[in-house]
Amino acid sequence: MIERWSRDQVLALAPDASSQKAAQGVAAPGKWSLRGTTGTVLYGECKGSGARPYLACVDLTEPAYRCSCPSRKFPCKHALGLLLMWSADDVPVEEGTPQWVTEWVEARAERAAKAAARIEAARAKKAAESDAAAERTDPDEAGHAASGGGGGRSRAAGAADGRPGSVRHGRVAAGLAELERWLDDQVRQGLAGTAEHEWEGLAKRLIDAQAPGVAGVVSRLARVRAYDDWPGRLLAEYALIHLLAVAYRRRAELPAALAETVLSRVGFPASREEVLAGPGVRDQWDVLGRRDEVQDRLTARRVWLRGRHTGRPALVLSFAPQGQPLDASLVTGTTIDADLAFYPGAAALRALVAARYDSGEDEFSGGAPPGVSPDEALDEVAGALADDPWTESWPLVLAGVVPGRASLGGLPLHPAAHDPWRLIAVSGGRPLTVAAEWTPRGLRPLTTWDDEGTAVIL
Amino acid sequence: MTGWEELASAALVGTDRRPYQGDLLEAAAVEVARRRAGRRIGEAERQEPAPHEERAALGRPAAERLARIMGGEHERLLPEWLAAAAGSGRRVPPYVLPELLERGRRDRSIRVHLGVLAGQRGRWLAGLNPDWDYLLEEPTGETWELGGAADRREHLRALRKADPAEARRLLESTWERETPDDRAEFVEVLADGLSMDDEPFLENALDDRRREVRQAAANLLTRLPESRMSQRMAERARACVAIAGTVIAVEAPEACDKAMERDGIRPKPPRGIGERAWWLQQVLARAPLGVWGRPPARLLEMRIPDWDAEVKAAWVRAAILQKDPEWGRAMFGWDPIADLLESLPPDEQQELAADFVKKHDLDSQLIMVLGGVSSHWREGLATAVLRKIVKVATTQPWNLGELVKLAGERIDPALFPLVLSYSPMESIQQVAALLRFRADMYKELHP
Repeated sequence: MIERWSRDQVLALAPDASSQKAAQGVAAPGKWSLRGTTGTVLYGECKGSGARPYLACVDLTEPAYRCSCPSRKFPCKHALGLLLMWSADDVPVEEGTPQWVTEWVEARAERAAKAAARIEAARAKKAAESDAAAERTDPDEAGHAASGGGGGRSRAAGAADGRPGSVRHGRVAAGLAELERWLDDQVRQGLAGTAEHEWEGLAKRLIDAQAPGVAGVVSRLARVRAYDDWPGRLLAEYALIHLLAVAYRRRAELPAALAETVLSRVGFPASREEVLAGPGVRDQWDVLGRRDEVQDRLTARRVWLRGRHTGRPALVLSFAPQGQPLDASLVTGTTIDADLAFYPGAAALRALVAARYDSGEDEFSGGAPPGVSPDEALDEVAGALADDPWTESWPLVLAGVVPGRASLGGLPLHPAAHDPWRLIAVSGGRPLTVAAEWTPRGLRPLTTWDDEGTAVIL
Repeated sequence: MTGWEELASAALVGTDRRPYQGDLLEAAAVEVARRRAGRRIGEAERQEPAPHEERAALGRPAAERLARIMGGEHERLLPEWLAAAAGSGRRVPPYVLPELLERGRRDRSIRVHLGVLAGQRGRWLAGLNPDWDYLLEEPTGETWELGGAADRREHLRALRKADPAEARRLLESTWERETPDDRAEFVEVLADGLSMDDEPFLENALDDRRREVRQAAANLLTRLPESRMSQRMAERARACVAIAGTVIAVEAPEACDKAMERDGIRPKPPRGIGERAWWLQQVLARAPLGVWGRPPARLLEMRIPDWDAEVKAAWVRAAILQKDPEWGRAMFGWDPIADLLESLPPDEQQELAADFVKKHDLDSQLIMVLGGVSSHWREGLATAVLRKIVKVATTQPWNLGELVKLAGERIDPALFPLVLSYSPMESIQQVAALLRFRADMYKELHP
């Protein structure tokens, strides 16, 4: 049995506000000619505009969704409506399932087995390669790679990494050299003189130079100008961009893990396949919260997790064109038993869910995840910044903190997160556990847990 | 100036004009990392924790349903949810409080339930956020001597229910010291359990300094035909009216004197009504209905050569003011105004409304009348309305929206099975779905 999610948890899965509204519209038992749950699978037949009812089902263990309706929204309103009814205890428990449900569940299990086999094969291949590579590289560098958690060969050298290396690196190097000169000019002539179109032009040239990571940072500089304290903040941005350009130029001198970080921040992320082929970290991962952000016609979804036993933080990042379905498989407030494969790098945070395990009993579900004191949290953030000075986001679980209108346990809140009334209401001025995202400008609360240990999304 | 400010100001004007020793961007990068990583814990904001709760919290399903309603699902059920929840004697769990208090800020009508439902936590929050401090005015269960205005009103109301005379005596004991606003509110509390025992007190209140107090007292005295005020009003009515055979001859008052004003007659007419017509209507509406000496059905058949419209309007108003069921029924037959239903006991309201639904087409008047029938409609009215829905669904389904909503909101949720099996038609199933929603709601609130 999966513990029932709250209405907020379900609505948070919707791709947008109109889907939330539409889902509430179909979340009425009268609209369903059939509905049931096995405890882990929800299914139903919903009357639609056509002659045939829509067949919707949800696998609660992931969750995964399927519906026969033509909607491009994902999950569609029928799947969400089913979930809302389930959340309101309006879906009866049934022993068996209709055939179409059974078929879907079996097909999914088959696909999952195949995917697992593929990852296994890739891992085996990679292990064989890295054994061979270890003989070629010097022992010192291999040691760095291992300590950084990145594993495998270093892409820093660039030449032997199998991508269109040297040509692209040549372009990037030229683009970043121009960037360095431009930044030096800015500092000589004074930050006050920069016009917005200069950033736009610079960002375009960086795209042409195939350094999309840096281009993205530069194109967002215009936002910084909008703040009252922009000179200091702009200088901080310039300094970090400059640091990245220099680090890229001198990446051969860096420890392997840090070089990975530099490469991915410049715009050479490891591929999904490479990441999945790396070692997995199995744990009971608490899904702490998530945030969607629209950037350049793309919606980026960040989901933060933390391992119960390893204490390790993780970020699962996914993108979709605006209006297109986003990954909705991680439900805030739930705990999943899974292997996470981390992207290589220092202070590695970004990860993929490589495999999920059916934990059967909900022995660890419910209740607040273990947290740390604000002091320990600051130490952790300092450690992350020491490993990766470009870190701008770090998920924390703070235990025993009292929220105020502008601070949380003595740590300042992000200006956009001031007056967290729901959090204040749940706390009643007493200490509680809060999951929050650390950012350089302050904490953004994500989730808290009430007296009964039920997750409350903030 | 700290190291960072020095760097920032040098960068702002440019190192050409303000030379900097070393690489400014490198130094700035070190400083950024140092400042981000080296942050220390600041002073925590000091605040008193919320007092412990005396009442148990409602369960998660009930709170989730509240969130659904506030989120727009059957939003019109919010008052019903709040009233039922307040009746359960419990409070809402803290996480829904900000949304609920924000609602109350915009919608005064729901505030009366929030005092109890928000619990200690809600009042504590209202102390932190001035937007919500209206909550501190709502009743909390304090007593007559110490409580706030709302608490005292609540106390008086409860006492009035249990012991009407004692409540009046308590009110008299502090009457002189009460503020005018409180006096007006307190007089209205006496409506419950009103009797001739209250007459001397109310007669005195007609001399109050505040008009609202005088008006409230006059309205109550109108409901006591034996009161001195009713007798004076009867005298005035008799001076205006003479019944001969089947003709009612009417002569409107020529003036509005001080004594009439004292008895609650307003001298200045609203725009569009003549002075004499205005005085006539008020005198007749406030004169005890017994003064007419005949049943309303007979009177309605008579001819009124002059002031006919004013007399009929006055009868409607009199039936409402004096809560007279016989007149209410009769006048409803003449002009089905929803307010008239208030003069009738619930059973009779429903009977009358059911009859009206049978004979009347679906229009805005039907909706208004049904809107005036208090909730939990029983089988008679319910089936009359369902039959109407089925009938209209075949001819003008686009007009059904409001009737379907009203049916779902007012029919007794216990009738859910009856409605469900009444017809497979979608509109009827919509009513059934809403009834089920409400049935579940009550189940969660009173497990």
